[in-house]
Amino acid sequence: MSGRSETTSAAVLPPGRWADGMLPAGVSLGGGTLVKGDFAFKRFLSRLPDGLVIGCGCTMDGARFAIGENGRVSIGDHCYFTNAVLLCERELRIGNFVMIGWNVTIADTDFHPISPAQRLVDAEACSPLGKGRPRPPIASHPVVIEDDVYIGPAATILKGLTIGAGAWIEPGAVVTADVPAGARVLGNPARIVGAAEPEEPR
Amino acid sequence: MNQASAPASSRRLPWDWFPGTIPDNVEVDPSAYLETTFCFCLYRSAAPVGVRIGRGASAYQGTMFDVGERGVVSVGEFALLHSARIICDQSIEIGDHTLISWNVVLMDTYRAPRDRLARRRLLQKAAETHALTEASPARPIRIGANVWLGFDVCVMPGVTIGEGAVIGARSAVFDDIPPYSVAVGNPARVIRRLDSPASLAADETRSEM
Repeated sequence: MSGRSETTSAAVLPPGRWADGMLPAGVSLGGGTLVKGDFAFKRFLSRLPDGLVIGCGCTMDGARFAIGENGRVSIGDHCYFTNAVLLCERELRIGNFVMIGWNVTIADTDFHPISPAQRLVDAEACSPLGKGRPRPPIASHPVVIEDDVYIGPAATILKGLTIGAGAWIEPGAVVTADVPAGARVLGNPARIVGAAEPEEPR
Repeated sequence: MNQASAPASSRRLPWDWFPGTIPDNVEVDPSAYLETTFCFCLYRSAAPVGVRIGRGASAYQGTMFDVGERGVVSVGEFALLHSARIICDQSIEIGDHTLISWNVVLMDTYRAPRDRLARRRLLQKAAETHALTEASPARPIRIGANVWLGFDVCVMPGVTIGEGAVIGARSAVFDDIPPYSVAVGNPARVIRRLDSPASLAADETRSEM
């Protein structure tokens, strides 16, 4: 799919439907924004009118928007994502000038309950035999990624976190706690190792 | 042996599902196996030889040679690439008999400056071209012979991994790893040493090849 829109909205398909070259309802792209990749909306199920709003001049190269029925994702201007996977059941807010590398996962949910008893119920509700059965409540907390954040390839950002403006997330980092603005983090779990911008000129 | 001068039409792979060709400045030994030319979709190297793939080496589906204009990648003899993402703006060397599992990232550059304002300028340009083709600082990666990288491993700019080392699955390698050691974790740390295979040098199976 290669969608390029100069207008603000191109609602063509209902949620959960996806086809080559068409944007699902609830998706709007700013001018000069490019969405590339056959599977970008394969798991886009949001029923909200603003399920996915992307600003101007962005490149979404192979990004996948797996957004649940009540999920809402907003992305600012001049962002560049390569094969990022955005998993959203509630809310994901991404600022301007955010770079996200290959194979990054950002999730605002745990997907399944932690409690073993609840997971039994959930496994059956998710099964082919569980049609219409309600799933137990599952934790989800909004993720906020502020302006000028860099996220390296294969990093993971978990639910409820705020990544402060200008932070630098090293490749492969598993981020399980808030990252202050301007910090550089690495590792699993990710730890602060210094400032995003080195003191000496480079 | 030097296929760089062969006409483009003969640079197709007969078994390829993707309708591409091997770029002119890529040298593939006739005995090496390349599953698909899709791996060159992001290839932009203008070096005399941008990628060199040695005798008996293989590169399977999912491997991506994301090589910038000045990038040079060499893949040693009998090396095995199983869908590694090779992000190269300067130099990435993969030694002989080195095994690389799926989803590995080898990057000699971040393709992004650490300076926030420089990054904004890069992204403003990318808004028009939808590509990150600007040269950004790079430091070469050297992976020695007989190395084994587990799946999902990330190797950062400037890292050297010594001969015979093993890197555990999902490790992120920020520092050099000495030869004949096992390193795991994110960031990766050496957890034990291995014997060098001096006693195996005369192995019969290998000497026949």
